[in-house]
Amino acid sequence: MPLKKVIETKKISRVFKNGDIEVHALTDIDLVIEEGEFVAIMGASGSGKSTFLNILGCLDQPTSGDYYLDAVHVNKLSKNQLADIRNQKIGFIFQSYNLLSRTTALENVELPLVYDRTGRFSNSKELAIKALGEVGLEDRIYHKTNELSGGQQQRVAIARALVNEPALILSDEATGNLDSKTSIEVADLFVRLNNEGKTILMITHEPEIAQFAKRMIYMRDGRILTDEIIKDRSTKESALKDLELTAEAIE
Amino acid sequence: MKQTLKILKVAFQAINKNRTRSILTMLGIIIGVAAVIMTISAGEGATMQVQNQISGLGTNLLMIQTKSEHKAGINVRMGKPIYKKDFEILQKNAIYMPNLSPLLAIGAQAIGPDGYKSTMVYGVSYDYFYITSREIQFGSFFSDEDVKTAKKFCVIGQTIRKELFPGQDPIGKQIRIDKVPFTVVGLLKEEGSGGMGQDMDDIVLAPYTTIQNRIFGNRKRGYNMILASALSEDHIVDAKIEATELLRESHKIKANDEDDFEIMTQIELQEITSNITGILTLLLGAVASISLIVGGIGIMNIMLVSVTERTREIGTRLAIGARESDILTQFLIEAVVLSLAGGVLGVVLGVIGNQIIYKATNFYIPTAAYSILIGFGFATLIGIVFGYFPARKAAKLNPIDALRYE
Repeated sequence: MPLKKVIETKKISRVFKNGDIEVHALTDIDLVIEEGEFVAIMGASGSGKSTFLNILGCLDQPTSGDYYLDAVHVNKLSKNQLADIRNQKIGFIFQSYNLLSRTTALENVELPLVYDRTGRFSNSKELAIKALGEVGLEDRIYHKTNELSGGQQQRVAIARALVNEPALILSDEATGNLDSKTSIEVADLFVRLNNEGKTILMITHEPEIAQFAKRMIYMRDGRILTDEIIKDRSTKESALKDLELTAEAIE
Repeated sequence: MKQTLKILKVAFQAINKNRTRSILTMLGIIIGVAAVIMTISAGEGATMQVQNQISGLGTNLLMIQTKSEHKAGINVRMGKPIYKKDFEILQKNAIYMPNLSPLLAIGAQAIGPDGYKSTMVYGVSYDYFYITSREIQFGSFFSDEDVKTAKKFCVIGQTIRKELFPGQDPIGKQIRIDKVPFTVVGLLKEEGSGGMGQDMDDIVLAPYTTIQNRIFGNRKRGYNMILASALSEDHIVDAKIEATELLRESHKIKANDEDDFEIMTQIELQEITSNITGILTLLLGAVASISLIVGGIGIMNIMLVSVTERTREIGTRLAIGARESDILTQFLIEAVVLSLAGGVLGVVLGVIGNQIIYKATNFYIPTAAYSILIGFGFATLIGIVFGYFPARKAAKLNPIDALRYE
């Protein structure tokens, strides 16, 4: 039985018009990501990876081409339908966490369920506590976000991305604001979640973080340059060891 | 429903997070609502007092006077004066007006042994006391016989007593009005201030015959007015018709000609003053409403700041599946909750303010129920109107830009 396609794009292009100038941010991108994959997208600034992520995350729509998310044809959806799709099928993780300030971890994680209109979640509090458990924050449930470290805040954000049982987790530079060790821990958390069957797509600048994924896509000038399976994936242990070696070398 | 409850909770959390700011924002609404309630109530209080005063003028009162017109601020008499003959015709023929009294008014200096005072001196008949239902504290009224024989008697109000006879019993003493000596036979009970602020106790009453003969020195002089009381409240209209017919006959007015006199009943007087005070209340309320609008602008201002400050939050909410309408509702509810809470506190402040004014000035202000409704309703309306623009701005944010907002 073939695996379910979580993402399927057919010749997706995105053109920004700024007066008379047309900027081709994305050109004819074909991409299929199947259930259970863990994909890292790399590329320089301006390579189009953020635009691509916005489209995949249903925050933006392609100028041309077709996008299917979990078998839903996204192109033709209204604003409200897009909002609902984001709510049901996507879990977002941002570089700067984007948590509600002075609000408890629990309330932050519950937030996607506030906007759930399907009624499929009966007990949002239980689900939020479960999600916080999955990211190892069971003892921080009632802490307010400003009482948590950066790594813990990003874990809360990850729990928030998990709570609605999305088809796809999208991470936009999730480790960008974290130190190396915490970054490795977050990347390791992604690996664990992926091992439990979550489909993860992450954008990152850092090759050592990308190395945790199963598949790496490299973008340049709005096109996919390379798309290959990672053979020697990093693990938490190997990455921490590399980190130590680097530190020693500097000394 | 559940969705609304959730969003309501979100709004309350946001307000609670910025408590100081929320309270400061509410202050505008609080003061506005309190001002509306207090001004409207003060207007109502004044209306009530004027109405009480008018009913205090007498029972089922009718005032018959020469037709006058306001010209350049001066009352100009248009018709024939009301003469003794007219009064006698009314007295003789009227069925619906058992009590009738001429009224001759003159502003004069009342001089006593220990003081003097400028006051109003009214020449009236004995019926005046029935018509106006004024009561005597000491002494007695002058009698019908005293009026007929034009005795130099007078009845004085409390203010006159205080000025002319400080600490003394005035009964039997003499006062001089326009060089004519009058013997004080009675002292009126205190009445307080009138609806228009005049002192109802700053008054001297004397037989109209005496005033006409001695003060005016002209027996032919017309009266300022004739006061009458109708048989009962139900007969006020009958009395007015009767008086009109009798006077038209007496003045020999032809069938198609207009009356050259005016008859005003107590009810009409009440209507007129209630119109005036109503307009006054409306004006005051309108002025107070302006402060509510200013309060609303304060809310809008704070909500705009709040939207800008929370751009990232809005972006996040949109990204994780909030619809535009969810964001709109959230911010609208925040604004409405702010103004409603301000409204509640404003009502409390207004009611307390009324009490304080009452305690301080003894001017009774009944807190009008409708003023609370107006203040409260207006506060809600303002929350919606001034909250809508910022809320719309929030809802229309592009999630991508909002998420990147620094």
